[in-house]
Amino acid sequence: MSTAPAPRRTTVGRTVARARTALTRPTVVLGAGTLLVLLVLVMAPLIGLVNTTLQSDNRQAWSDVFASPMSQNLLWRPMGNSILMGVATAVGSTVIGGFLAWVVVMTRVPGRRLLGLLAMIPFALPSFALALAWESVFRNDLVGGSTGILVNLGISVPDWLAWGPVPIAATLTAHYFSLSFMLIAAALAGVNGDLMEAAEMTGASTLRVAKDIALPVVAPAMISGALLAFAEGVSNFVSPALLGLPVRFHTLSTRLYGAISTGDVSRGYVLSIVLILVAALIMYASTRVTGGRRSFETITGKGGRRRGVELGILGRPVAGLAWLLVTCTTIVPGIVLVLSSLTRHTNDFTSGLTLHYWIGGSDPALAQGQPGVLNNPQILQATWNTVLLGVCVAIGAGVLGLLISYVITRSSGPKWLVGTLNVTSFVPFLIPGIALGAAFIAQFGAPIGPLPSLYGTFAILVLAGIAATIPFSVRSGTAALSQVSKDVEESAVMAGAGLFRRIGAIIAPLTARGLFTGGVLVFVQMVRDLSLVVLLATPAMPVLAVLTYQYSSENFTQLANAVTVVIAVISVAATIIARRFEGAAQPWNSNS
Amino acid sequence: MRPRASSASLTITDLRKDFGDTPAVDGISIDVPEGSFLVLLGPSGCGKTTTLRMLAGLEDPTGGEIRFGDRVIARGDGTEMVPPAEREAGLVFQSYALWPHKTVFQNVTWPLTVAKWSKEARRARGEEVLSLLSISDLADRYPGEISGGQQQRVAIARMIAPQPKVLLFDEPLSNLDAKLRVDTRGELMRVHRSTGATSVYVTHDQVEAMTMATHIALMKDGRIEQFGTPRELLESPRTAFTATFIGTPPANIIDCEVAGGRLSAFGVDCGAAPASVRGGALKAMYRAGSIEIDLEASASGCLEATFADQVPMADKWVVGVDLLDGTRVSVSRDTPVDLLPGDGIGLRPPQAPDAYFDVDGALLDTEVVR
Repeated sequence: MSTAPAPRRTTVGRTVARARTALTRPTVVLGAGTLLVLLVLVMAPLIGLVNTTLQSDNRQAWSDVFASPMSQNLLWRPMGNSILMGVATAVGSTVIGGFLAWVVVMTRVPGRRLLGLLAMIPFALPSFALALAWESVFRNDLVGGSTGILVNLGISVPDWLAWGPVPIAATLTAHYFSLSFMLIAAALAGVNGDLMEAAEMTGASTLRVAKDIALPVVAPAMISGALLAFAEGVSNFVSPALLGLPVRFHTLSTRLYGAISTGDVSRGYVLSIVLILVAALIMYASTRVTGGRRSFETITGKGGRRRGVELGILGRPVAGLAWLLVTCTTIVPGIVLVLSSLTRHTNDFTSGLTLHYWIGGSDPALAQGQPGVLNNPQILQATWNTVLLGVCVAIGAGVLGLLISYVITRSSGPKWLVGTLNVTSFVPFLIPGIALGAAFIAQFGAPIGPLPSLYGTFAILVLAGIAATIPFSVRSGTAALSQVSKDVEESAVMAGAGLFRRIGAIIAPLTARGLFTGGVLVFVQMVRDLSLVVLLATPAMPVLAVLTYQYSSENFTQLANAVTVVIAVISVAATIIARRFEGAAQPWNSNS
Repeated sequence: MRPRASSASLTITDLRKDFGDTPAVDGISIDVPEGSFLVLLGPSGCGKTTTLRMLAGLEDPTGGEIRFGDRVIARGDGTEMVPPAEREAGLVFQSYALWPHKTVFQNVTWPLTVAKWSKEARRARGEEVLSLLSISDLADRYPGEISGGQQQRVAIARMIAPQPKVLLFDEPLSNLDAKLRVDTRGELMRVHRSTGATSVYVTHDQVEAMTMATHIALMKDGRIEQFGTPRELLESPRTAFTATFIGTPPANIIDCEVAGGRLSAFGVDCGAAPASVRGGALKAMYRAGSIEIDLEASASGCLEATFADQVPMADKWVVGVDLLDGTRVSVSRDTPVDLLPGDGIGLRPPQAPDAYFDVDGALLDTEVVR
């Protein structure tokens, strides 16, 4: 407290006094703190990645990759394959997703609601589920090992259908069309009945209304969905790894995984940088098109829409096609995975069904003595690790995301700080999971000063998980914060509650629902993710997704499929529990 | 509630708030004694809410100084910035900003918890303010379960619970319906009297200001247009803006030409010009009761106008008419007119206007000739 008149101060004195008052602002401290954490989690690994390749021992890797006899096999052909997969995924996803969105939102095909629900499922499942299911059905004897259901039934499967670009593109499309579907359906639902009717009142033909009114509204969602599918297709690891590697069909992701896992680390890092640049370019283009971050909008039923598009004679074929598509991408793979995990000899129903791979003990005659998944200490350890990883990442990313979104949306902090936070928290969105994993090894895989190497620890998995999910957490934090008006918080300021007390007593209870839902989505994302953890998990620190991949590579198909079913069950259960809790957490909303 | 001996006077000196290059508050000075009821009045965007938020400590001034009593609570150069809770000021938000997850009683007592009051003291004080505002029976309800008027009372109870020396109100009545607004106005004045705290009240409604204020600061474009008592602002407006903002209905301003010691508008003589003005343009102020309506559309000596609307007010009728250039003029008379909107009528000006302003709206210091 000071008394009037204001003492005359020197410039220095005034600066000190000003700095002192600025430092009493916890938001400034909070902003600086969260930025520091982000820099360590996001920027440091990227810098470490680039830095490692520039060390004198490793510089050779750049010329190896870009200008050497190996370049063709190391970089250019995989890159061509990556882009080919990206284009195929983008086209396939947009066509299928767009078609289903149109059927669900604009027509009156029977069972549209269920159709819409099923069309969203593939994206919620692990992306290796479809690749494994494909393998279980179509695998032939080209590379040896056990064969798929069709071959075992005596139906020969051509190589192009069993291996390489066609099955990879098909499984990627079957996974990512879901995303296009969600984006396009949300946009179509926004073209509500009134808007269309207003256009029809002018006397325009149906085709013209579709072209001039509906298409422009939906176009950004279509383009955005296509670009996202493209970026995912370019960088996806598991489909090319399962369906391409055995026949030496390489993409950038499998090449960099191969390089790093065989000890050829610096070339792997260079390939990671290339992959990051390719993916970042596309993702950046996508966000420019939509003018924002990826949205996971769900379709809300718009009441009062007066009528659907009349399909006439085409009604049955259209409905049949739509049902066929969702059945083949959700129900059929599910059944295949479950049944396949029950066959005594891989994918051979004539050998009889058994629960051995689920509950059996070690039997040297089956899967080299690996016990069933529910009886297998390694799998139980991996399940525990996976769940714990999901929980830790969900909590860590949730807290960090809330704090960052708080600084971004609420603080009157310096512009550069808010801007840097905003950009940095968005960066991981541009980085493919497998490349981010590589970057984490590059930065934290070796001791830094007194800090030990984190390679093979649980900590590196959690840190990488938080880094990978922070764009989503910031986004859901921002959405949750928008539920708390600024006034409500300022009235707590007036009451004398400090920043952390406000966050604890006012903001957290009021945003609990949104934060919890966001946390569950992060949890599910971590449980089903493979590409981020495939380089980071070690045999001593196993997680389920990596085990699946290993079992599949070692041809323990039943085990791989059984673990995939476990992952799917955990993901779906978490989602259902989240829904249950949503309503109960806020008693003050019960009567209104 | 016991009246508090310790209220605080309020001194604002050259206060500024710039957002980038745009001044929201452009250097204002106000001084009111303790126990005053100061109303910051003005159209939206005039800087009144920003000023209030600087008093509360929710915005930092970029220039000038604020003092409660002898105590400097904020300085624009950043050398002094007392946190909101240490200013002994309470704020009622326009949206009430009740905490939706706390009951009414918890809303009122949570600030006391933060201020580390003992449990018994909190309970006693909470019951005291709830009964003062006649909402004791709502104690266990959540804000979402009570009406807007009741929420308003909770917000007021929450503000006065910690016994602040300065009460701040940000358009607290704007979300209430007309009848409730009048009732709550009385309630607020009762709270002001019983606490004895200096109050600062932001509104765009001049009726609220005239009813409640001991002092009004009429603001426009971040500056104070006029500061004074309600009566001063009504009876001696120093600018044309003040004249057209204050009063029910407010005074009328008509653009006039000066020639040969006479005023004219649209070629019609409007009375005597001030002696000091030889020629050019000026604004003449006519109160609603000074002008008469001639129902004959083109009566000689009358300004041409068209009828727009009329509304009863106390035992008079206020008739709104539009001049040729669209200027709205309000005339008060004993009987309603029997016309349709758009019908022509005449306006008969008095012998001289009630006041003169120059073209920029500043009062011309002239003896008004009646």
